[in-house]
Amino acid sequence: MGKSADITRRTMLVTAAAAGAGFAVWPYRSRHVRDIPSGRVVLNYWEKWTGVEGQALGRIVDRFNNSQNRIWVKRVTMSDIVAKSMVAIGGGDPPDLVGLFNFNIPQFAEAGAILPLDELDSTKQLLPKHYAPAVWNLLTYENKIWAGVTTCYSLAIYYNREHFRQVGLDPDSPPPTVTEFDHYAKLLTQFADDGSLKRAGFMPNIPNWWPHFWPAMFGGTFYDKQTNRATLVSPENIAAYEWVANHPKLYGKMAAQTFGSSFNRTFHSPQDPFLLGKVSMILQGPWIANFIGTYAPTFDYGCFAAPVVEELYDPTHPTGILEADVIMIPRGCPNPQAAFEFLLYTQRQDVQEQLATDHSKPSPLMNVSEKFIHEHPNRYVHVHDAIIKSSAVRVAPQTRVWKQYADMIASAFDAIWAGADVRSQLQAAQDRVQQLLDTSALRRKQRQSMIGKYP
Amino acid sequence: MKLKLTNSASYFTKRIALYVTLLIVAATFLLPLLWMISTSIKPLDQVFAADQSILPHVVSDDGVQRTVSPFTLQYWRGVSNYAIDNYKGAWNDPIAEFPLYLKNTLLITLLSVLGIVISSSIVAYGFSRIYWRGRNGVFLLVIATMMVPFPVLMAPLYVLFKQLGWIGSFKPLWVPAWFGGAFSIFLLRQFFMRIPKQYDEAAMLDGCSRWGILWRIILPLSKPALAVVILFQFIASWNDFVGPLVFLNHQEQFTLSLGLYMYQSQQGATPWNLLMAASVLVILPVLIVFLLTQRSFMRGITARG
Amino acid sequence: MLRKFITPKPADHVGIQTLRGLIWVSPWIVGFVLFMLLPIGMSIYYSLTDYSLLEAPVFIGLDNYRELFSDPVFWISVRVTAIYALCSVLLSTIITIALAVLLNNKLRGVGIVRAIVFLPTLVPLVAAALGWMWLYDGEMGLINNLLAKLSIDGPNWLGEKHWALLSLIMMSLWQVGAAMVICLAALQSVPRSLYDAANIDGAQPLSRFRHITLPMISPAVLFNIIIALIWSVQVFAVPYIMTQGGPEDSTRFYTIYLYENAFVYGRMGYASAMAWLQLLTVLGLTAIILRLSRNFVHYRIT
Repeated sequence: MGKSADITRRTMLVTAAAAGAGFAVWPYRSRHVRDIPSGRVVLNYWEKWTGVEGQALGRIVDRFNNSQNRIWVKRVTMSDIVAKSMVAIGGGDPPDLVGLFNFNIPQFAEAGAILPLDELDSTKQLLPKHYAPAVWNLLTYENKIWAGVTTCYSLAIYYNREHFRQVGLDPDSPPPTVTEFDHYAKLLTQFADDGSLKRAGFMPNIPNWWPHFWPAMFGGTFYDKQTNRATLVSPENIAAYEWVANHPKLYGKMAAQTFGSSFNRTFHSPQDPFLLGKVSMILQGPWIANFIGTYAPTFDYGCFAAPVVEELYDPTHPTGILEADVIMIPRGCPNPQAAFEFLLYTQRQDVQEQLATDHSKPSPLMNVSEKFIHEHPNRYVHVHDAIIKSSAVRVAPQTRVWKQYADMIASAFDAIWAGADVRSQLQAAQDRVQQLLDTSALRRKQRQSMIGKYP
Repeated sequence: MKLKLTNSASYFTKRIALYVTLLIVAATFLLPLLWMISTSIKPLDQVFAADQSILPHVVSDDGVQRTVSPFTLQYWRGVSNYAIDNYKGAWNDPIAEFPLYLKNTLLITLLSVLGIVISSSIVAYGFSRIYWRGRNGVFLLVIATMMVPFPVLMAPLYVLFKQLGWIGSFKPLWVPAWFGGAFSIFLLRQFFMRIPKQYDEAAMLDGCSRWGILWRIILPLSKPALAVVILFQFIASWNDFVGPLVFLNHQEQFTLSLGLYMYQSQQGATPWNLLMAASVLVILPVLIVFLLTQRSFMRGITARG
Repeated sequence: MLRKFITPKPADHVGIQTLRGLIWVSPWIVGFVLFMLLPIGMSIYYSLTDYSLLEAPVFIGLDNYRELFSDPVFWISVRVTAIYALCSVLLSTIITIALAVLLNNKLRGVGIVRAIVFLPTLVPLVAAALGWMWLYDGEMGLINNLLAKLSIDGPNWLGEKHWALLSLIMMSLWQVGAAMVICLAALQSVPRSLYDAANIDGAQPLSRFRHITLPMISPAVLFNIIIALIWSVQVFAVPYIMTQGGPEDSTRFYTIYLYENAFVYGRMGYASAMAWLQLLTVLGLTAIILRLSRNFVHYRIT
């Protein structure tokens, strides 16, 4: 190669390096920073939502920023938000507000990672009477309130009304009990000529997002707070997962496995199996209405609270699980009082209803306006609302090991789905969880005696 | 029955077989990258289309709908429009901020490269041009540190940086480079060893200090090795994912790697064309640097063995 | 291999020279103590405590280690990592040697192919992971598209537990370029004369490979094996991005579980215990390989 080629090459490299170095020290400011008017207290607010849901929250933040001239909330979309929050708080570099999940509260509260709101709420504005009782219970832990609620949801069964009609079922009377539900599912299931599954009436692994849901239908529980015992191995839970295990037995093991997993990444897309008619009934949250509106506006669907075993059936107290997204103030954040001001703002009824409408979720508050129910994108929001306010609603156990507990239930579910023995799977998970619960309680005691008192 | 081939015939079949194998190998290793580029210049509906080809389809909508042949200018105009849409879309996507990530990455890379060159040169000088007792033992330790997996250090380093008050800044990502890196020290030492001792001695007679010898004699002679050190540190800093994942908390600080990861996990319905466009943008600088410095690069790698 | 660095040289003022040498290498020593020795030491201490990042550590003796051995997920992560390391090291070693031998032929365009094979090792892991996620996509991915052309119904690679780990192993083979280049350099330094002598003796190609090539490149192969082992034991970014440990724990690598414990479950102490076991394992495995290799690796005396 000639010398000139070398020189050109070197010139190019030097130019590239100089350009790179130049850009590195160029005073480029982040978009978020550029937009902030001067003279305001800036709050960093980490949230997990992206896309449409993130934009909806963005509108709330904008509303707040425009409603006064002292505080500016900067919304930052964060993935892996739980890990990131823990790392940032632990590292002494937290944001002012974090949006996490209700099941994070015990861990963050016990660790003193978040501020109890009682201390900031001098005018006593956060009161139980404003919230649905189950929601309020989620926000409190050991007699203190730790978080505001941003949105919440309950799960219900959505069904394809057209399929109901096809097989001669009345689309206006969905099955209220497990026995009838199974009967419906069987009628709705279709096989192809080669014996493979063409359409599933119902399949607990489509989608497999809440493997801890099924005990609710059988009256099972996971945890006894009083004695700190895991209660996974109970007749109710065994019945629940036996019921789960029945599906692959009924439809053929291979069919059930490949059929379900083929949809793993297609939910909430134009290829959603429910919208394509590959499955007739599906466990879902209220937001599904938003996706149906986007991808299949003419889709004819219905919704009902999950069926229960006969002895639990009570139409006035539907069951299901309630989960909430919460907003909390990390300990050590720069501006706790201003952060609390924004947190209070998010708890107003009009703000909650705007956010819940945009997310297509029910309101967590006790008072719900007529307008909210009427203009809600999900015409079945009342089903979800009733579940949230029902005394039979289920929430995640308030223990810091719940995340691991849920991960273990998920593993047990997968094993059971693949044909493993229900009791032994649940037993193994329970043993491990009990170990975690005991260790966690012991450590807490040790830590308390070490520091003297719990912060 | 097999005919016994003549020598030259067997030579030719062998050559052809070799070329075919070569072609297959090249295609296999190139395909993933080609496919990424191909996806990055397609509109989303073609990404999800049932029949997929390497080149995007362009449909002319002047009157009749017809597929445009790739041998026309109109076709390439169409393709470049798709490409511009995607690359602009990714670059300016409101949920990420790639210009800022680029700036951050460049800054960290620059500081790390500077640090590694300066510190490793000094340390390598101490390991090569000065004889002292225990030198080889300590040098073996340098080599041994290459075996410590980063995940082992991840958690305690985090706590350490927390104590130092570095969490929330770029320091955890570039300061360690200013204390030398095992690989660059090794590489430079090997190179320094080959420079004749007489140079030092002559310079010393002229009253030059060791410091002066390093800067005026050794380093100018070691440009090829320094180039390799720069390249490797550039690649390492540019590609680092775990470090930024653990040590950076705020979106304004993200590097390209971390930003790209966050971008994909924030894209709900996976617009693969945008994701691939962003990925190609992150790969591109590395590729350009590699193409420009290919020979030094290969030399650097083989110096390891 | 390391023996050749040792170059004895007489010294006159031993003390002064030692001090001078230490001063010159002091940046490295400070860095080593601060960013490696200290963290490793800290992790010994943390491994004996319950420490959540958010709270002060509580000393608990060997409880973390005891708990680890009865933790099923820990054993799953050990198994996943072991399978991955074994398959990945074995396959990549074979492929590396094969590629190096092929690319050592004097053929037109061989330089370009070398560069192409090397290229993937430079691709940032995040971008590589995203690209392969797209290749492996069950519905729209290129691999299943190509398989469909052969009328094979491809699996959902990353979504099925029997395929996910295998998919990651296959992907790791895409990045053998650096090892290949090292192997190639070793091949090129094999003296021609050895082959000529073998040809005179009428040795067949296979036996030439077995008796000349392999012994001559064995130090490079050993180096590659050790590096590949260290890398495969600490693989993190790719499974973290592509599968997050799933489906059904089938890609729950050791490092992923370690990261989860440290930064998701908030169990720094437990994670530190894992880190320690990992360090000991890596050192132990390297020692074993070096010991075993004595019988197989041939160092040339130059």
